[in-house]
Amino acid sequence: MSLKSQLAKFTAQSAHFVLHDVLKRGGTSLPGKLAVSIDPDVLSAIATDFDLVVVTGTNGKTLTTALITRILKAGGYSVITNPSGSNMVQGIAGTLLTTKITPSPNGKKPIAVLEVDEANVLSLAKAIQPKYFVLTNIFRDQMDRYGEIYTTYQKIIDGILQAPDATVITNGDSPIFARGDYPNKRLYYGFDNVKESDYKDLKAPNNTDGILSPTDHSVLHYHFITYANLGRYFSVTDDFKRPHLDTAVTAIDELTPKSSRFAIDGQPLKMEIGGLYNIYNALAAYSVGKAFDVTPAQMAAAFDEDKQVFGRQESLKIGNKDLTILLIKNPVGTNTVIDMMETEPAPFTLIAMLNANYADGIDTSWIWDAEFERLHDSQLKAVMTGGERYKDITVRLKMAGFPIQETFPKTEEIVQAIEAAPTDKVYLAATYTAMLQVRAVLREKGYIKEEY
Amino acid sequence: MADYKLTLAHLYGDLMNTYGDYGNIIALRYYAKQIGVEIDDQLVSLNDDFDSKAYDFVLFGGGQDYEETIVANDLAGKKEGLKEYIENDGPLLAVCGGFQLLGHYMEMADGSKVDGIGVMDHYTTNMTDPSVKVAKGTRLTGDIVIKNNETGETYHGFENHQGRTFLGKGEKALGTVVSGRGNNGMDQSEGVIYHNVYGSYFHGPIFTRNGNLAKRVLATALERKYPDVDWQAKLEKVPAETF
Repeated sequence: MSLKSQLAKFTAQSAHFVLHDVLKRGGTSLPGKLAVSIDPDVLSAIATDFDLVVVTGTNGKTLTTALITRILKAGGYSVITNPSGSNMVQGIAGTLLTTKITPSPNGKKPIAVLEVDEANVLSLAKAIQPKYFVLTNIFRDQMDRYGEIYTTYQKIIDGILQAPDATVITNGDSPIFARGDYPNKRLYYGFDNVKESDYKDLKAPNNTDGILSPTDHSVLHYHFITYANLGRYFSVTDDFKRPHLDTAVTAIDELTPKSSRFAIDGQPLKMEIGGLYNIYNALAAYSVGKAFDVTPAQMAAAFDEDKQVFGRQESLKIGNKDLTILLIKNPVGTNTVIDMMETEPAPFTLIAMLNANYADGIDTSWIWDAEFERLHDSQLKAVMTGGERYKDITVRLKMAGFPIQETFPKTEEIVQAIEAAPTDKVYLAATYTAMLQVRAVLREKGYIKEEY
Repeated sequence: MADYKLTLAHLYGDLMNTYGDYGNIIALRYYAKQIGVEIDDQLVSLNDDFDSKAYDFVLFGGGQDYEETIVANDLAGKKEGLKEYIENDGPLLAVCGGFQLLGHYMEMADGSKVDGIGVMDHYTTNMTDPSVKVAKGTRLTGDIVIKNNETGETYHGFENHQGRTFLGKGEKALGTVVSGRGNNGMDQSEGVIYHNVYGSYFHGPIFTRNGNLAKRVLATALERKYPDVDWQAKLEKVPAETF
C-alpha cells in the first residue's frame, strides 16, 4: 500500500473513531469521503485483502446482503459488510477502510459482502474487481430518481463490464435479466416448485412492468408467476424462454408473516422471516453460498439461526400492541408487503405513512400502482394514515374502499395512533423518511434502542 | 348490479402504465359507484382492434421509452378507430406518452423520433431542441398547478417529462400554468383539450388529485351514453376529493 493510501486509510479510521466513539454518532460516509479525497485510489489499494461480492437491484438488497453474510460466516469465512443505507461509494469506502479484516477460520480469503446502490455499481467496480455480482430484481422505483428500468439495468451492466472475470448471480425468473450484452458467466436462480402438470398459460397483471420479450418485443406469457413479473416465462411467438436455473426453490411448505419453510435444491430450510419475496433473497444468498462451497447443512443452520435478520421489517411491542414496521417505497415492494399481510391470520390494523422527500421519491403517484384493494381479502379491520403526505395516502386508501378510522399528520403522535388501533396486531407501513421519523419517536420514548 | 355502465378501454394498459396512470380508473370508479354507475375496464393492447363504437371512455397512459416505441408501431393500426372515436366526441384521457402519441411525433431524449398517429395537431420535440429556450437540456420535474380559464377550475399535479409539446390547430390547453412548467416551459400551456379528449403531463394521477376534473369528464361520458339522465345533478351531491 502506498504512503498516500495508508494516510487515507488512517484518516478514515480516525474520523470513524471520532464519530463513533467520541461523538457516538453513526455514519460511514464522512470517513469514506475524507479518505477518497486524500487518495482516490485508496479502495484499489486494499482490494487484495478480500474477495468482493456486490449485491444490487431494486428490492431486497439489505436482506440478501444480511443472509449472504450469515451463510458465509456459517461456512467459516470472515466477512465484512456495510450497514443498510450506506450503499453509495463513500459509505462503502468508509466501511471497508474502518472495518478490521480478520483471517477466515476456514483458512480461505475473507469476503466483503456489500449492498450497492444501482447507480454506484460502476464506480465501485472500477475501484475493486468484484468476484460476484448478485442481482436481486429490477422494478419501477422512484422514477424521479432512478428513471426507467432499462436505464437502471444498463447502469449495473456498465459496472459488470468492468469485471469480465466476475460471475453474475442473477434472478432467472425476471425477464429483464435475460437481456444485457456482457461476457461474464451467469448463474441463474429462480422458482421451480410447480409441477409441470400444473403449468398454466398466464400473462402478468396489467399494471406490471418489463413484460416484453427481448427477441421480438411480444408480450411474454408465464407457466406460473410468483409475484409481479417474476416466474417461468416463455414467448408464444418464438422459442425464447426462462433460462435453465442453477439454483431453484423446489418447495414452498409454509408462509406466515414471520416465518417460512421451503426447500432449495431439495434441501429443507426454514427462517424467521415471512413473505414470498424474501424467499427470493434467501435463494440469491443460497446461490452465493454454493459458489463459496458452503454446504447445504451449514446453510440450513444459518437460515435457522434464531435471531432477527435485519431487513426492512421488524417487530416490536408497544404496550399491548404487537407492532410490525414495514418499509414501502415502490409499487412492487408494497405489493409484496400486501401479500405478506394477507398471510396474517389475526385481525390487524394498518397504519400507512407517506412522505415525499428526496429519499422517498418526490412523486407520490406510485401509491396508485400498489394494489391496496387486495387487503379486502385479508384480516384488515381498521386503517389509519399519517406522514407528511397523509392527504395523498388517505385518498388512496379511501378510494380503495377503506374507511379511514383516523389520520395522524404529526409523527410525534405515532404512539397514540398505535394505541388507538382496535386490534392487538398493528402493521405500520411507511416510506423511508417516514420510517426514520417513526423510529426516532419510538427511540425517544424508549421502545427501541439501536440506531437504524 | 348498477343501473348504468360505462365501458372503458385501457389502451396498452399492460405496457403504458407508469406513474400510477391506473389510478385514474380507480378515481372514475370511485365517483361512478356513488351515483350507481359501474365501470367495466378492458385492456386493448398490441395487435388488438380498437372498435370506436365499443367504448364510452378511453385511458391512454404514459410508458417508458422502450415500451413507447413498441406501442407507437402498433398504434398506427388503431389510428382510424381512434380518429373516429375522437371526432365523434368520445371522452379520452391521455397522459404523458399517450398524450404525445396522439399528436404528430415525439422526440426521445437521445434524439430519435417516434411517429405519433397525428389524430391531433400537437407535436413534441426533445429537451435539447433548438426551439427550447427555457430549461434547455433538463427534465421538467416538480409540483405543478394550472387553471382552466373557461371553468376557473384549478388542477394540481406532479410533472416529470423531458419532451416539449406544442399545441396545434383546434387545440386548447387544459390549463394555464400557475406554478410549474407545463407543456414546454415556455408558453404557459399545460395539457390539451380537443373535442372530449383531455391530455396532460400530470402524474398524481390527475383524476385522483382533481375530483372536479374527474367528475366533469365522468359527466361528459355519461351524458353521451345516457342523455336522458341529469348527471350533473347526481354528481353535484358527490364530494370531490382533492389533495
